This record gives sequence, structure tokens and C-alpha cells, in this order.
Amino acid sequence: MTDVQDKVVTTEKPSVVATLFRFQSVFGLIAVFVAAIIFSPRKNGEILFVSADNLANVVRAVSEIGIIAVGMTFVILIGGIDLSVGAVLGLAAVGSAVLMVENDWGFLPSVVLVLAIGLVFGALQGVATAMIGIQSFIVTLAGLQIARGLARIWSGGQGVAIAYGDGPKEAPTSFALLGERTFGGLVPIPVIIFAVVAIAAVVFLRVSAFSRHLYAVGGNEKAARLSGVPVVRVKIAVFAICGLLASLAGIVHAVQLNQGSPNDGIGYELDAIAAVVIGGTSLAGGRGSVAGTVAGALLLGVLNNILALNNIDSNIQLLIKGLVIVAAAALQRLRPTS
Amino acid sequence: MAESFDLVRMVGIGKRYGGVQACHEVDFVLGAGEVHALLGENGAGKSTLMKILSGDVTEYAGSIAINGTPVRFSGPTDAQAAGIAMIHQELDLVPGLSVADNIFLGRELRTTVRTVDRRRMEREARELLDRSGVSLDPRRPVGELRVGEQQLVTIAKAISLDARVLIMDEPTSALTSSEVERLFDVIRELRNSGVGIVYISHRMEEIAKVADRATVLRNGKIVTSFDPRKLSTAEVVEAMVGRPVQTMFTTPDSDTGDELLRVENLKLKARRPRPGRRDPDGISLTVRSGEIVGLAGLLGAGRTELLETLYGVAPGGTRTGRILLQGKPIQPRGPRQALAQGIGFVPEDRRASGLVLFHSILANTVVSSLPSYGRLGVIARRMERAASTRMADRLRLKFGRLQDEVGTLSGGNQQKVVFGRMLLTEPKLLLLDEPTRGVDVGAKAEIYRLLGELAAQGLGVLLASSELPELVGVCDRVVVLRDGRDVASFSTADSGEGELLAAAMGQGAVFDEVGGV
Repeated sequence: MTDVQDKVVTTEKPSVVATLFRFQSVFGLIAVFVAAIIFSPRKNGEILFVSADNLANVVRAVSEIGIIAVGMTFVILIGGIDLSVGAVLGLAAVGSAVLMVENDWGFLPSVVLVLAIGLVFGALQGVATAMIGIQSFIVTLAGLQIARGLARIWSGGQGVAIAYGDGPKEAPTSFALLGERTFGGLVPIPVIIFAVVAIAAVVFLRVSAFSRHLYAVGGNEKAARLSGVPVVRVKIAVFAICGLLASLAGIVHAVQLNQGSPNDGIGYELDAIAAVVIGGTSLAGGRGSVAGTVAGALLLGVLNNILALNNIDSNIQLLIKGLVIVAAAALQRLRPTS
Repeated sequence: MAESFDLVRMVGIGKRYGGVQACHEVDFVLGAGEVHALLGENGAGKSTLMKILSGDVTEYAGSIAINGTPVRFSGPTDAQAAGIAMIHQELDLVPGLSVADNIFLGRELRTTVRTVDRRRMEREARELLDRSGVSLDPRRPVGELRVGEQQLVTIAKAISLDARVLIMDEPTSALTSSEVERLFDVIRELRNSGVGIVYISHRMEEIAKVADRATVLRNGKIVTSFDPRKLSTAEVVEAMVGRPVQTMFTTPDSDTGDELLRVENLKLKARRPRPGRRDPDGISLTVRSGEIVGLAGLLGAGRTELLETLYGVAPGGTRTGRILLQGKPIQPRGPRQALAQGIGFVPEDRRASGLVLFHSILANTVVSSLPSYGRLGVIARRMERAASTRMADRLRLKFGRLQDEVGTLSGGNQQKVVFGRMLLTEPKLLLLDEPTRGVDVGAKAEIYRLLGELAAQGLGVLLASSELPELVGVCDRVVVLRDGRDVASFSTADSGEGELLAAAMGQGAVFDEVGGV
């Protein structure tokens, strides 16, 4: 503070390049969005991609992966990974369907129980990594199998269809509302849930003391521990949050498909990780943001949508998605570091 | 011998790290069949000089000639090709691989069909080890070996390179005395076959036994060069220390207050003992408030382990003895509890265990004291900025903006951030492990000034260091540890650096050399 010369040397405006890299996923999203408009099929001069219906579909399709990816961002920020989220989503979808249809539970108790299951499941995985010291990759790989197995047992191995009504074997109509649209039929409720989750996560990471601990654990776990950060508690909480969000996504999934199947959500963990990576969060931990993840999830959603609109072969779609992920990761390697 | 050229001739070697002149106009000559000992304190420039010779450091002033041919190495591989091998203090072995695999790493022997010829590698490894007088199974994974045995493996590896110049940096620091004798036989054998050996050590009796010449470096310059059999320990110590160190240090305030920390016969029996770790095995000491107590000792004497035990981060095990903080017995359970009780800790390796280098100065400074900057887990940004700024001012931190990455700061300023983080928790007792390692001279002086200030305010400090001038200059008292026990205690008021060093050397002991600058 006293040495003027030092200040001059170190105080540089962040360069244009640095800014571009910092908001890489946002610029990527804009680029893909513009490309989608250009390549969109047209009908009577109307650009199909930007029609209200189509855009609503894009965000609706993104919402489940998006909710999961927010939780995944937390886990990856502490240098972990959660492979169980797709299976937990399946478990939650099955749970919602079975409780409301077969057990005739009400809307609220069912949702609360399902969310609690996700929370506890995640927390247990956190305990296994933080207290026993098993790598999260292994723990959640096992968690994936366990959650999938539980879902099969609970559902009897079959998808449980959800019918709405007041009678027996019918889910309460209040549950169906979750799948509706609001704001003049424009915005699907799942999108609103996703938005609320994302905004809450962004705010949480900005203002909470917990988030500083979270970033510190991911940045240098040993230093964090020696600095008095409650590393074990942070890890357990983060996995619990991730499990909670995965089960929330499972509820949304059930209501959108009107069923809960033990095979729901297979491979979702990979899409969620892809969204986080495209969003610029470092798999090494300690660096990244939920905003980036949201942009990453939207980018993947727009890409899926425009490829589908153009009737591109689904195998080619996979190929293109793969290349986009590699490109995003490569860009991060190029990011200037000090 | 009709040698017309020296094996190694280094002329006018200079090297500057930032503001520190590590080597200045150093001339160094090594003859074929000569064992040349290199002496000096930490940061005297020994390591830098040898890193230049072994190709680790490629930018320097001056010139090097090998057998009269000028050379300028572009890297360690280049130097190895010229017949120069260095045995590093930090052992560069792959723990999971076998002894034989490690010796032949990167130049594996092949069969006629290009597969690895494991049998031949094991046979040759066994021969090499036999030559070094070690009976080790070449198939054993290196990770299972004792540190001393690992050291012997690196020596065997260096010999297998058929080097003409062998640089040994404290090769005996973890060897038993019989292993040392064996090593000396190997060294004499190599010398007789014309290999030139640079031998870095602080153990005077070893140097007298094995070296033909000894050179003392101080502050990057050669002070003297002598026949090690002819000079007394006292004279060597004088040559090594002979600088006015006192000016660096703030004379400690002798006013000390009540007893802050009392450790009584502290022992830790680790559940899973680790090689190279020396847990406390009966340590007693006290620190009064306002007092700076130094912890001296060899590499592996258990200084770090003691501090870790007091901070509650030592590996699990059974602890006996008593630890009293302000008269009340405490059971260290971990950093959170320690910080809450007013014990702060600055770890040895700030990059690995002190900082998140790619996080901001701000985030790194406040991480230990976060709950105090807001309510209900919500951070009041203004409060944390204010705290961080206040600490930066107090520590005279040189920085651009608080949100700059801490990794962009110099080593000394990084260390100040770790200090600042601890001070924000308002500790009563600070445990410091090598707080000035790799810190430039200016920042060192500032850290000493800060320690003086803190002590004057009644803080107690326990300072582990391998730098004698630091211990004598900064501390009120120095406790010497050996093998996990406290073996001596000096008041720095009536004993000087020379006495301390001479006492240590007289016991055959010796202060470990720690990388330094």
C-alpha cells in the first residue's frame, strides 16, 4: 500500500482476452444461439428456432440437467465428482410415483420424503469420501449402483405410470401443476424451478461464508484444513446438496413424463458434468461458477434442439456434442493464467 | 598424473534471484580423483552453485569448462550426458517402482525383442548395490524402504550413470553410522578411479575423513578454501558465520510475562508410524507470553512433528504427557479447536499447505476468521475487505489489488499473507515452522520485525528453524531437539551463534541444510 511503484506494476486492467476466457461459456452460448438462428429451418418465413414454443421446449428440456448440474458444480468445486446423480434422479422419480399413486400419499409429504431421501443419500456419500477417505469417483460409482438398485426394488422393476385425480391409485392434481406452464402459458414451471435453484446457488456462492470454505477446500484441501476450515463438514454438506438437487430433478422428471421408471436418468450424470465443464469450472476444484454451468447447460440444450430441428441423425448429434465438450475443455487449457 | 586440465573449472559464476545475489564471482575447481567438500549456511549459495553445474539452473554469469572444454548446459540431461550426476537431497525416486526399475528408469535394459529385460536389470542392480555395500533386494518397491536405504539407491543410481563428476548433497543425512562407513568406502573407490566428487555436508568429522579439500561459501561468495584435516571446527565455524548478522534482527524484548504454554513429557505414539517421521518422544518445554522460543535440531529431529502435535494435526495415535495453555490442560483436536483456543500455526510449506495460490489475496487472508465478518453465515464484504486491508498495511504487504491471485506475490509476501491470516484470528500463541524459508532478505527482516512487535504485545511464539542466525537473532531461548526429545536449551543472551553451532557440531550433529535460496 505504501509502494507506489509496485502498484503500477501489478495493477493492470484485465485484458480483453482474459475477459473473453472468463465468460467463455456465455460467449459460447451466444455463438451457438446465433448459429441456431442461422441454421434454423423456416416455415412461411418464420424462424422455427426462435418461436416461443420452441424456446420454451429448449429450456424445459434443459431444466432437469440444469438442476443436477448446479449440484454437480458444487461437488466439482471441492474437487470431487458425483456419478450417482442420474440414478438418484431415477430413484426420486420412482419414489414420487410410487408414493403418490400406489401408496396414495399426498403431494407435500411425498415430495418432502423424496427430497429427504436424496439429501440423506448424498450426505452418506459425503461421509464416505470425507470421513473414510474414499475417492468420490469410487463412492459415487457405488452410489450409482445402489440408487439404481433401490429404484428397481421400490418400483418392482417396472415404470409406474402417474394418473391424476382424487381417486385411489391416482396422484393429486396439485402435483400435475408442476408440469404446467405459467405466465400466460409461456414459461414451463420446471424452468422456473431451475431458475430459482440457479439464482439461489449463485447468491449463496456469492455471500455465504460457507462458499469461501467450499472454494478453499477445492483449491487446496490441506491449506484449508490448517486454516481451520471444517473440511469434513463442507464435503458432507456439498454432497448432500447435490443429492437433494438430483432428487428435485427426479420429481420434475416424473411430472414431465407422467411416470417414474427405475431407468430414468441413465447417463444424466455425464450431461451434467459436460455442462459444468463447458461452463468453465475446473475439474481440479477451487475454480468455477454456477453461472457458467447454467450457460453450459443452455448451450448443450440449444445445440440438441437445433440438431433435432434439422433432423440430424442422432449418432451425428452425439459426435457433435462430444466435439463441443473437447473444444470447451481445450479453451480452458489455453486460458491465460498468472 | 599428467592432467593438463582440471576436471571441472567454474569461473566467475554469478546468479541473482530477484533481489538476492545467490552467487557472486565464484571460482570453483574440482580435480579428477578429488573429493571437494562444500560448506556454508543456508542461502550461502552452495545449492545454487551445484544446480548450475548439474544443469538445473541454466541462466547464470561466468563460464564452466569440463576437462578444458567450455560447456553451457541446457538442462540436467545435457549435464548428465557430459558425465555430471547430482544426488539430490530430496530423493527423486518413484515409490511404486522396484529398486531395479528406479535405477534404470528412462534407460531400461532391453531384450533382443525390445521388451524390458527385467532379469538383467535386477542382476545389474544387485551388482551395483553390492558395490555400494548395500544388501537390498532389487525387486522391492522403493516406497517400502527406509529413507536411508532410499538414499543408498539414489547413490547406486548415480554410480550406474558412470559419471565423471558426482555431486552429493547431504548424502548421509538419513544413514546409520555403518552405512556411512560403507558410503565412504564407495567414495574412496570412486576417487581412486578418477571420479571428481563434490560433497556438501555440515558434519565436520565426515568432511575431515573423506574430503581432500573444503571450500566455505558465505553470502554467495567464497570465503576460504582449506585442507579439512588442518583446520579446527572453531575456525570453520568462524568462516561460515563470520558476518554481522545481528543487524538483521530486532533485538527481542526481554520482558516476558506469565507462562503461556507448558509441555510436559509429551509423547505421541502414532497408530501407523511413517518412515521419516519423528513424533515427540518425551518433550518438555515452556513458552511465556511475550517470549520467542526457538526449536533447533537436525532434519528428522521432530520439530515439525512437535508443532503439528500441538496444533492437533499430527496423524492419529496415543498421546501421553501434558499440554497446558495458560495453566489449563488442553487436548489438541485440530485447527478449528486450536484457533478457537488462540493457537495459530504457520506451516512449513506455504505453497503446498498454506495458500490457495490461484485464489485472491483477500480470500486467502480472511479464510480463518470468516465468521467474524457478518451474521448468520452471510459475509459482509465491506468488513472482510477492511480486515484484509488492515492486515496488509500492518504487514507492509506489497501488492496490487486485494483480488489479485496470491500466487502472483513474491515468496516473502505470500508468507506475510499466511501470517496475516493467523493474526486475524487474534492468537495468543503462534507456532511457526520455518517461517522464512525461501523468503528474500528484505521480507525476512520484516518478518523478524513483526515477530518482535508481536512479542512486545504479549504474544508467545514457538519458532522451528534450521537457520542458526535466525534462531540466535530472533529468539529469547532456543530448545534443541534430537530424536523427538529435547536435549538442550540455550539462552540466546549468553550464547551466540558460534557457540550453538559448535555445540551442535561437537556432538557430531549438525543442522540440516534446507534448500535455502
